[in-house]
Amino acid sequence: MTSKYFFYSLLISFVLLGFACDEVAPVLNPIDTGGGPVPVAEQERQVLIEEFTGVRCVNCPAGSAAIEALRAVYGVKLVAVSIHAGFFAQPYAESQENLATPIGNSILSLLGEPLGYPTAVVNRTRFNGEENRQVGQSTWAGYIAEELQHAPQVKIDLQRTYNEATREVTVRADLYIVENITDPDVRLTVYLTENNLSDSQLTPAGQQNDYIHKHVFRTALGAFDGDQLSESLVAGAVVSRSFTYTLAANWNPEECHIVAFVHRGGSDLKVLQAHEVGVVE
Amino acid sequence: MNIFFTACFKRQLARARVGLLGLLLVVSVGLSAQEQQGRFSGSLETNANFFLRDSLIGAANTPQYDRQLFGSEGWLNLNYSNWGFDFGLRYDYFNNSNLLNPTGSYTDQGIGMWYVKKRIDKLGFQAGYIYDQIGSGIIFRAFEQRPLLIDNALFGLKLDYQLAENWTIKAFTGRQKQQFDTYNSVVRGLNLEGYVQGDSLSNWSLAPGFGVVARTLDDATMSSLVANLNLYPTTDVFVPKYNAYAFTLYNTLTAGIFSWYVEGAYKTDDPMNDPFGEIERDGVVTVGDKFFSSDGTVVYSSLSIAPPKWGITLEAKRTENFSWRTRPQSQLNRGLISFLPPMARINTYRLTARYNAATQDLAELAFQADVRYAPSRKLSFNANYSYINDLDGVKLYRELYTEVQYKHEKLWSLTSGLQLQNYNQERYEFKPNVPIVETVIPYADFLYKIDRKHSVRVEGQYMLTGDDTKADAKQDYGDWVFGLVEVSLNGHWNLTASDMFNVAPGKNSPVDENGKKESLHFPRFDVYYTTGPTRLAMSYVKQVEGVVCTGGICRLEPAFSGVKFSANTSF
Repeated sequence: MTSKYFFYSLLISFVLLGFACDEVAPVLNPIDTGGGPVPVAEQERQVLIEEFTGVRCVNCPAGSAAIEALRAVYGVKLVAVSIHAGFFAQPYAESQENLATPIGNSILSLLGEPLGYPTAVVNRTRFNGEENRQVGQSTWAGYIAEELQHAPQVKIDLQRTYNEATREVTVRADLYIVENITDPDVRLTVYLTENNLSDSQLTPAGQQNDYIHKHVFRTALGAFDGDQLSESLVAGAVVSRSFTYTLAANWNPEECHIVAFVHRGGSDLKVLQAHEVGVVE
Repeated sequence: MNIFFTACFKRQLARARVGLLGLLLVVSVGLSAQEQQGRFSGSLETNANFFLRDSLIGAANTPQYDRQLFGSEGWLNLNYSNWGFDFGLRYDYFNNSNLLNPTGSYTDQGIGMWYVKKRIDKLGFQAGYIYDQIGSGIIFRAFEQRPLLIDNALFGLKLDYQLAENWTIKAFTGRQKQQFDTYNSVVRGLNLEGYVQGDSLSNWSLAPGFGVVARTLDDATMSSLVANLNLYPTTDVFVPKYNAYAFTLYNTLTAGIFSWYVEGAYKTDDPMNDPFGEIERDGVVTVGDKFFSSDGTVVYSSLSIAPPKWGITLEAKRTENFSWRTRPQSQLNRGLISFLPPMARINTYRLTARYNAATQDLAELAFQADVRYAPSRKLSFNANYSYINDLDGVKLYRELYTEVQYKHEKLWSLTSGLQLQNYNQERYEFKPNVPIVETVIPYADFLYKIDRKHSVRVEGQYMLTGDDTKADAKQDYGDWVFGLVEVSLNGHWNLTASDMFNVAPGKNSPVDENGKKESLHFPRFDVYYTTGPTRLAMSYVKQVEGVVCTGGICRLEPAFSGVKFSANTSF
């Protein structure tokens, strides 16, 4: 009697659960690299990844390596900013400087607290099935690929001049509207980042005082949550904004970059297009 | 209206519809409850936290300490039974709550759970949110743990059928709950359970069971996974499968004083995340999240022996590659389909509960023995030993816990003992290059009953930690001393005052402006009022950071500073 029920149950379970070995597997394809700089007319969708990190976060070097791997694949199509903020960003006694900034903490508050580090916000989008905009490292590649599928509604050209004597950088951002943008609140945010910065970091091998930090957020030129674009954003229009900033004495201009992105305001914040250039040509 | 707002609006509308239907249902049945002789019951639980920033202990840099100052959460559970149906509905709210993410803030509210249940002769069904498990939960457990905000109910349909007097088969399908939404992967399962007893002269019984659970990844999850794999060095790439299956076979044999539970589970090839995975790119090895695909197994057994005056439980568990989740990208306590039984004692005293062994789902070999002996009503002994390694023989956790309890004439009782622990902090808390934390904790708990309604209880504990020779300091936070006084009045009021003092600061203790380690106090004052089923509590708390575990699932909790209020009742 007992064995009969076991037999029937096993049979039913295999039928119900469709246990089969012949499912069609997903196709894995190596992705073409994004290449180097392109003229604004040929600019494609460029995605912004705002990584939140901290010098006391042991897993963050793995996050940084994952971003470098993604940039190796996507090239200029992926614009990366690493913002030191939050719980893990308190500097060590051996740290040369505090990489966390009040503006970085404000950006973290704007975009929401993550469950853990490393974490990133991709195009400031809350993806289906995620608790908030902050997503873990294992999902970055998928969401970047998803965002790259959309054509840009706006293209960004950045013209900059750097005065070595005064350490002043002037940036002009020209926004070429490709498609009508009807959102009531559209903004331009401009960050200044510094790459290849040597300072302390906790790694799986312990505290490393000459760790090379990538794409470190330094400051925002203009409002940290963006300057609202009041012009009519119809296809064919060109909107320009200019910014001036004096680099701090310990920032290496050769490694500094300007990151500009156009995004929605309000509670949406979705990034429509991002672009990056070096401070020094 | 843009796509994002449209999607949000639809989600809100759908949620509101379900909530409205549920409320209408409850209200309407509630109104006619008297005449239909239905049974109405419910419960309410709510917590409110007032946050007081204290940078020195690390209670800072979260939205609540920085600007929100207040957070709360609550659950109102309503149940109604009539006409052979059972209805359930739960309203959940979270306002700037730090329960979902201890360093974040979560705000939302709505219908957190509803169900309709009915039995028609031998067939039963349940639609809505389902809490259930197969065996000990190794291949499937849908459950709620509010202290860690785990609520992984299955949103779907369950059928069960009574095949014979002691044999039941059940089948279910649905998607796992994710706050007020669901994950997109589909879960389905089947479970057969029975009960076989010897004849009237024999004293044995069997409770065998078999279960199978399948999970199909949704397209978005697979696309995300594939995008990640496309970045891996070719040696690490694998072709992921949409469908994975987990099987389990279990049985409880009861014979006289013996009760023996054994369960074996197998999971087919399935993508999983290894948080200590190694990826080599251009000669540089990075340690961190890395997907891999493998089948997995868990074997678990528990033997209980209960001769007169004795209670002995022996447990063993071996886990290999059994991270069984609704999607492989989920981290920590998110998206868990399985529940792996914890193999360490669940301690209640403040210092004995400071270091907890979180269940490891990729590699764990664990044994536990618990022996109780009560030679008389006055005197009892308890000893517990836990032994946990990974599958490469790396020591993860050891604990020896002893307890002696003496009760004198219902007037006073004394509980005392010693706990010895070895805790692999590097593995459990991702802290690199730290030694295994070694602790020795003597403790004593004295209860004096003044009369039937009045009593005084005093607790004392001391944690002695080992040395971190590399850091030339005590391990972790060093030595602690803990004291507590509790007064119970009138059977309604409980007042407690306690302090946890970092008597000999360690490597991770905070330093003052001169770089000297600080010996900090972590005081706590509680007032509890209990009347019937209602319990109200108000507490002033300063709490050091630590790993908090509930039922075998743990997470790192930052320090807390502030005032807590909670209310619980049932009706």
